Amino acid sequence: MSNIQAEKLTKTYGAGSTKITALDHVNITIKEGEFVAIMGPSGCGKSTLLHLLGGLDKPSEGHVLIGGHNLTDLNDDKLTELRRRKIGFIFQFFNLIPVLSAVENAALPVTLDGVKPAEANSKATEWLTRFGLSDRLMNRPDQLSGGQQQRVAIARALVADPELILADEPTGNLDTRSSDEIASLLRDVSKQYGRTIVMVTHDPRIAAYANRIIFLKDGKVVDETLLEKKNGKNAEDVMEKMKQLGD
Amino acid sequence: MNIELTLAYRYLGGRKLRTFLTTLAVVFGVLVIFGMNIILPTMIESLQANVQGASGLVDFSATHISGEPFSISVADQLKNADGVRAYSPSLTRVVNIPADFYDDDSNQPDKVTALSLVGVIPEAARSVRAYPLVEGRYLEDADTNAVIISRTLADSLNAHLGGTIRIPSVDGTTELTIVGILPARTSPGNEEILVNLPTAQTITNQSGKVNTIDIVIETFASEERRNEIQTNIQNAFGKNYAVGTQISADTQMFASLQLGQAMMNLFGVFALFMGGFIIFNTFRTIVAERRRDIGMLRALGANRKTIIGIILAEGLFQGILGTGLGIFFGYFMGAGIVKAMRPMMTQFLNLQIGEPVISPTLVIVSIALGVGVTVAAGLFPALSASRVTPLEALRPSANEKLFEGRAGWGAVGGAVIIILTLLAIFSGRAEFIMPGGFFFLLGLVLITPILVRPLALLFGKILALFYARRGISDLAQGNLTRQPSRAAVTASTTMLALTVIIAIGGMISSLTFTLYDLIRANLGSDYLFIPPSIALWSSNVGANKDFAEQLKNIDGVDEVSALRYSSAVSNGQLISLLSMDPVAFPRVSALFFQTNIFADEVSAYASLDEGRNMIVNGALLAALKKNVGDTVNIVTPDGSFDYRIVAVATDMLNAKVTTGYISHDNMKKDFGVQDDVFIQLNLKKDANRQAADAAIRALSANYPTFKVISGVEYYNTMKSQLDATFSALYILFFVLAIPSLIAMINTLTIGVIERTREIGMIRAVGGTRKQIRAMIVSEALLLSAIGTAFGIFGGLYLGYVIVIALESIFPLGFVFPTAGILIGIAIGLIFGIFAAFIPARQASRMNVVDALRYE
Ligand SMILES: Nc1ncnc2c1ncn2[C@@H]1O[C@H](COP(=O)(O)OP(=O)(O)O)[C@@H](O)[C@H]1O
Ligand SMILES: [Mg+2]
Repeated sequence: MSNIQAEKLTKTYGAGSTKITALDHVNITIKEGEFVAIMGPSGCGKSTLLHLLGGLDKPSEGHVLIGGHNLTDLNDDKLTELRRRKIGFIFQFFNLIPVLSAVENAALPVTLDGVKPAEANSKATEWLTRFGLSDRLMNRPDQLSGGQQQRVAIARALVADPELILADEPTGNLDTRSSDEIASLLRDVSKQYGRTIVMVTHDPRIAAYANRIIFLKDGKVVDETLLEKKNGKNAEDVMEKMKQLGD
Repeated sequence: MNIELTLAYRYLGGRKLRTFLTTLAVVFGVLVIFGMNIILPTMIESLQANVQGASGLVDFSATHISGEPFSISVADQLKNADGVRAYSPSLTRVVNIPADFYDDDSNQPDKVTALSLVGVIPEAARSVRAYPLVEGRYLEDADTNAVIISRTLADSLNAHLGGTIRIPSVDGTTELTIVGILPARTSPGNEEILVNLPTAQTITNQSGKVNTIDIVIETFASEERRNEIQTNIQNAFGKNYAVGTQISADTQMFASLQLGQAMMNLFGVFALFMGGFIIFNTFRTIVAERRRDIGMLRALGANRKTIIGIILAEGLFQGILGTGLGIFFGYFMGAGIVKAMRPMMTQFLNLQIGEPVISPTLVIVSIALGVGVTVAAGLFPALSASRVTPLEALRPSANEKLFEGRAGWGAVGGAVIIILTLLAIFSGRAEFIMPGGFFFLLGLVLITPILVRPLALLFGKILALFYARRGISDLAQGNLTRQPSRAAVTASTTMLALTVIIAIGGMISSLTFTLYDLIRANLGSDYLFIPPSIALWSSNVGANKDFAEQLKNIDGVDEVSALRYSSAVSNGQLISLLSMDPVAFPRVSALFFQTNIFADEVSAYASLDEGRNMIVNGALLAALKKNVGDTVNIVTPDGSFDYRIVAVATDMLNAKVTTGYISHDNMKKDFGVQDDVFIQLNLKKDANRQAADAAIRALSANYPTFKVISGVEYYNTMKSQLDATFSALYILFFVLAIPSLIAMINTLTIGVIERTREIGMIRAVGGTRKQIRAMIVSEALLLSAIGTAFGIFGGLYLGYVIVIALESIFPLGFVFPTAGILIGIAIGLIFGIFAAFIPARQASRMNVVDALRYE
């Protein structure tokens, strides 16, 4: 799959006077194994970009290439399969299925792929254990804290061994401590397992965990910054950058 | 378990109350269909067993189409018929045995409740059937009062060869001497007792007559040849005789059974339809509630098939569980009713009911309907669920337009249908009005969506009077008008339920009044002499006129009126004829007149003695397709006669049966019947009641066929039986209303879920829990008010349809069902508040912050 490429990616909503251009001819390339953060003010098109990259939505113009394959050419079933096997999603609202246990939730993508529940669950258990949830396996989402739920969601995003992980404000609903835990967890995943991660956030402290930050404004890429590896201590640099852009 | 099943199972388990209520709806529908369809086949089987027991193994049997006895000389017409090997004329009568006739012990169940008395010419009978005696000898021509019985009967009556058995006869009782014993019987049905023809003719007062000719034909006839011979026989007898291989079961009985069955099936289908409706509604709720979950699954890689699979699996679970339970409880209900009916059937119809009959078809049909309806109801919501995009989990904003759109055309269609059905009412023609009932309801369902807004505004004004704090009822009303089609679905469910309550409630109450009046006037004589079977007159052995005359001579007796019975055929239609003494009858009983060519009832009764005049009941008039004043031709074994219809009137016992009333004189002249099958008696005002009672009972002991019962006693038993039936009906109909409650709860719940954010907002800006509750309750009340209003219209229409449908059977005036409407309104409002309870709690308990964050 390797690289992810967006070419002239455009998304508009509505028509005529109420027409909104959420994304405006965006060109970006994300290399295999990279951890990219996307930042920008509310409504600038971050989520829209992520949805298009993950094949959850269709662009109005332009296209997304994943490992050379054009997502626009895929029908619903093929796209679904791609999501199931190659892409992991993490959302701000953890979006766990309320009637399933932590393990079952984490195992969903592989279960949906037809893997036997026992096998799927053991895979999910591995990830959950890695994330410190070994004593919470059988709990349902409403019995878990926000941070724990998000860790289940991350385990779910990883269980199918996808090459690309898309995270939309994964810490948006968490307190500072949990946020830091989740962010460093993502960074570890990227480092240890070589997964490509694209993470949307508006929190500079969280963005600072990434290798690269893409700044969006009014649907356009306005800047990119490569961060030195300072293990999340780059927050000040990022804030500085945001101030510049805000002006 | 695969993921679809796991998820379906978990979701069901996660919402136990709703799963329970939804499944209950399926259970109920299947229960009614299954249970009710046990009853009829059981009764038919019993009837057939009784009949078949008598029919034996001859090739053909010939009877007169009226079922009445005919002259024995008719048999001679077979003498030259080609292919006939032998024939045997016989007089076969079912003789009902009164309760405790043999054991004289009311605590012991009677072993024998009816016998088939077969009078034969010994040699002729032997030429068509074999009689393998195990003891004694066969009948001889010279025998009088000799009888051959089976080993089984002998054992159950403790009788022996050379001993005697008693049977009821027109003279009271007759003693028969047992000369031979046949092997133990293996087939079900009435025991046959074989006597010489003259003996049978004396016992039943039908000298010179037979009613069946059994025929055997040349051996090894091919199918073709058999048919040819059957045609020969038919030609020999002429068209007024039926030549068949098996005696058909009693038509009167079948007709009323089938009517009941059809009504109950309608009820079951209705219940199942309601069940399907709720399930549909529930699944819509489920899909609305779970859009986020579903979108999530889609984002994670579940394809459309998987989503459909999950929803349908839930339907399947509920369908299977509901159907299973429905069949289970349905069996107990059906078997319970069969069991409960047993004593009544034995008492009134003298029918032995066997074990509950369950046909494999019934099981298959019940399963197919139960599971099929459930899954089908889930299909549409499942398809709509599969169209949920992954984005909806992430941006659940524009998901409101789920079922909108088709309201416009539906409303136009609905309006057209309503107008047509109203025209049908004015046409006054039953064939238009009856289907009109269904279509009127359909029209209402279709037109509801566009009427939700104006009605919500109207009822909102009324509600505002109750909720002093402004704004709350406005909000509720706004919520409804925002989702008119969903509100309409719920309102329609309520409507259907209330329609039934109002229509049936109204009908029952007016029927009750009419019936009680009728019983009092018709059967309210001081004494009634009731034969073992009161609706199936033909199987009763009556009493010769001595009995009535002796009764009349008892001191203190004012008047005695007897009815005599014969069946007959007119225009191919089997009818019952009852004869009366036109003077005595009105003095102890009464017919209820609807139409009369004379000025008063006295003249109508009197006219029965002036030539061939006949009063008919509504059922007969409808069956003959005649009008008052017309002449009908009645076919008897002795020829055919023209009777003029002078009036339409009904009596209690024969309301369902096509019945004509003639005079005793005509009955004797044209039908040769002189025995009384039903007697009523009034005492003089100043009579010594105790002495008269003793004398009446003493005399009646000689005529054990009749049960002597006082009018008051009879009225009370009838009334309590009717009351029990009606209250059972009321309960059934109330249960039928429960689905609308479930549907209402569901709709309100979706409303709450979808408006989670809004509710949080109202709370955040200072709305109290109480106000939130009030909002939800108002919404429920508005919904139920709309449903109730429509239900009243539907109920009135349906009530009218029922009256029209019953007209031919049981004339009722259309009584405006005030009571039904009041009950309907009360139930509607109570349900409204009740349905709001759970969602209102849920909404008011909502955590403000969580609600606001809910996207
Ligand atoms: N379904 C939609 N219909 C109309 N406008 C939309 C829709 N989804 C998003 N938008 C608009 O597109 C723009 C970008 O939205 P989004 O990508 O969610 O921004 P961000 O995630 O950066 O806050 C916003 O102006 C938003 O209002
Ligand atoms: Mg966003």
